[in-house]
Order: sequence, then structure tokens, then C-alpha cells
Amino acid sequence: MKERIAITGLGVVSPCGLKKETFWANLKRAESYIDEISRFDTSLYPSRIAGQVHDLDCYTHLSGRLIKKIDVFSHMALVCSQQALADASLELDEVDKKRVGVFMGNALGGWLFAETELRDMYLEGREGISPYMASAWFPAAPQGQITIYYGFQGYSKTVVADKASSALAIWYGSKTLKENKNDFVLAGGMEAPVTPYALLCVNTRGGLSKNNLNPRGAYRPYDLYRDGFVVGEGSGIVVMEKESHAEKRGADIYGFIRGVGFSCDGYHYSRYSPDTASLEYAIESCLEDASWRKENIDYICLDGEATVMGDYLEAKALKKVFGGRMKDISLSAPKSMFGNLLGAQTSLDLILTILSMKNSTVLPTINYEGRDPYADLNCTPNTCLSRNIDKSLIMARGRGGINVVLAVENS
Amino acid sequence: MSLNEEVIGVICKTLDVEPEEIKEDEKLYDSIGVDSTEMVEVVVSLNKHFGIKIETNEVTKFSTPRDIVEVVGKKKLS
Repeated sequence: MKERIAITGLGVVSPCGLKKETFWANLKRAESYIDEISRFDTSLYPSRIAGQVHDLDCYTHLSGRLIKKIDVFSHMALVCSQQALADASLELDEVDKKRVGVFMGNALGGWLFAETELRDMYLEGREGISPYMASAWFPAAPQGQITIYYGFQGYSKTVVADKASSALAIWYGSKTLKENKNDFVLAGGMEAPVTPYALLCVNTRGGLSKNNLNPRGAYRPYDLYRDGFVVGEGSGIVVMEKESHAEKRGADIYGFIRGVGFSCDGYHYSRYSPDTASLEYAIESCLEDASWRKENIDYICLDGEATVMGDYLEAKALKKVFGGRMKDISLSAPKSMFGNLLGAQTSLDLILTILSMKNSTVLPTINYEGRDPYADLNCTPNTCLSRNIDKSLIMARGRGGINVVLAVENS
Repeated sequence: MSLNEEVIGVICKTLDVEPEEIKEDEKLYDSIGVDSTEMVEVVVSLNKHFGIKIETNEVTKFSTPRDIVEVVGKKKLS
């Protein structure tokens, strides 16, 4: 049997809580944490609602001197990584820092810093721009800031692959553990799309709900009246190590990464292929990588894009792979409560799936009111369900069909 | 306010540090661990504040506050 990759620490910065305990307690309430954006004038944006992190400054451990050099997405990742490392009970003085890697997923970069600095450059000339601009905005900046902050020197990478970014980062990190390149890996993602330019980009990207008059009812995956997803900001980071390594140091193990499957639709730069063969291949190859049979699966954390085509295609692929066994599997898209964090989404899906396993609870898909015969899945509507969960799949789909499926097992 | 206090005030405001953290004759690298990018920011702030033109190689992370005051004083006179 292949050595399992253990998850031993969790960090959460999300619109519904900035610690794993608050995150879980709020998710169990099955309520929406999506609100109208009030930080800047959004009146001309088609979608002007989001899951937002309002109180990051109350939880930060960073100095003002550092905060002014970094974008908010790095700030969120640093707060999140601190939580994850503390949760894993890592004694940093005793760790070989050359063997600690950092693997992050991000889709957009850090635009709050970039937008304001570029404006100053155009207004004031070359000296108007902060010298930190060059190192603050780009997607790999948070990975760099985490490694600098803790002095980690192990093999590290950042993955940019739209909504599948952090899924690929988690896989990449677990691969370096299997290949004995690292002893510990911090893996996850961070995203900060609630800035004037970033929000414009995600609006242009398409697929967002325009239900601005009812923010809390806007994100409704698999519901007949769905009109797209709602963005969210935040970060999710886990600490991973080999099972034998975790046992040797007496660490508590939350769960295991058991397998991954991926594929690309190879069809269009933004649309999914109407033929679901590619997504089915990702699911099948994940099951094969984990050496799991279809009847073993208890729970699937859905991508739940809440677009007409996105949910239709996800449901179609799952039905094709699992057939009659679908009735025995619980499915849900808990991100309907706090928004889709794009490049950071799978990291939060992983954390909420682990917490669901630990608490024997399936979190619901909220705002479900009407059945869509073309995307007809039992997506655990509106209220939590008690169920023992041992084996789960997590679905992630990036724009244009970057398909990643993770297999996660309870400890 | 003396030139000395004014320069130290600009350095502290730019880097978000307290005046007590830096010493007049200690290199900024040794006292507060500045990096070269922070020093670019300090030079830009000094240029803006005093209306002068210091080049980034005239003030470095190995400068002391006293060195910086001297450079600013000369530039103000020229």
C-alpha cells in the first residue's frame, strides 16, 4: 500500500470565520455570508456582491512595517499559515527548514496594491510608485512571503489554474512529500477579488450571479433559479506530511490525501466541453489513483458553479461515472454559503470536507428551492445531514475545463 | 525641529518604526534590519519631503541616520 499523505494542521481565513472552529460553527448554521460590496463604488458592476473578510486586522500577527509592503492576499495567506502551523503543533526551531515546502494556488494576483500604486505612477511619475510593487502583486508573492517569514527553504511552487489552482497546489505539495523532496508542506491558496480592478476582471470572466438585490440568496448551485456563482475572498492552508512522519512526532492526523485525477477539456479557452468525457476521466483516474471502488465513496464536495451549463455538466459526468450508486453518495456545495474563492476554493473545500468527516456531518447546499431536471442531483439542500464519512471526493473545475478531483480519507 | 529630528521622522514614518528603535550612529541594517527595497522607499520619501534629489546609491542600508542627515544637508545647500 502506498504511503498516505497526512493532513495535520488547518488554517482558515474565510468570509464565515477566521479560524477553523468559527468556520465550522458558522457553516453548520447553513446560512449565507454573502453581502453587498461597500468598500468602493460598485454601482456599475454587473455583479456587486461577494463573500468578504472584514476583520483580518483583528487577527493579524504581522507588524505594520510588513503589512505596508504586501498585498492583502499575502496578508491573508500569512495569517492563515500561522494558524495552520500552530494547529499542526510544529516546533519551528526543531524543523529542518530546507525540507519545508510551500505550495499555493491563486488565480488573480494582488490587485489592491497594484491598482493604487499604478495610479500613483501615472500621476506622479516613476517616484510615485512603491518599490514593493514589483514583489507585492504577482500570484507567487504569498508563497514567497510565507517562505521569507518562516525561513522555509524547501522545494516550493505557486500554481495558477483558475478555480483549480489550489487543488493542483495541494496535489503538487503531496507529490513532493511522496518523492521525499520535503518533510513538511504548507499547501492551499489565497484570493482577493474584492478590489475595483479584480472585481472588474471576474465580472468580465463571466459566470457570476447578478442577483444583487438578494445577496444572501444569490449563490444557489443546482437550483432551478441559479444564475451564476458569487466570488469570495480568503485563504485556506493545510500542513501535510507523510503518515509515518506524523506518527513519529505524535501529531494528530485529520485525514489523508489519497489520490488525484486531472484532465483538460481541450475544447475552448473559457467554456467547458459539452462532452463530459474529460471530466469523467478525471474522476475515474482519481478513483484509480486512490485504489478506491465507486461504492466506497460517501461524500462528494461539488464544484457547484451555479451556471446553467456548469452544474448540468458536473451532474452529467457524476451520473455517468457512478450510475445507480449516486443514491448512496451524499453531495453538496457548501461554498454556496460564503462564495467561490477561485484560486483558493479547493483549499477551503478540503478543510470543510475534513471537518465534515470529523463531525460526521454533511454540510448543505443552501438556497435550493426548485429542482432542475437537467441538473438533478441530491445536493443535500438547505440543512445539514448526519452521516459517517470515511471517503470523499472534492471536485474542482477551472475555466475552459481544467478538471481536478482529489480523494480524501478520514483518519 | 532640527534637521536631525526631521530626517529621523521621515525614516520612521516611511518604515513604520519607532524613533527609539534606531540609533544615530548605527547602520540602519544593524539597528532595524532594513533591506535595500526599504531604502529605496526612504530615499523617495526624503526627496519628496525636502524637495531634493538623492540618488539611491548615496543612501544605502549600511548608512547611519547621521550619514543620511549629512547627505540631506548637503543636497539642501546645493
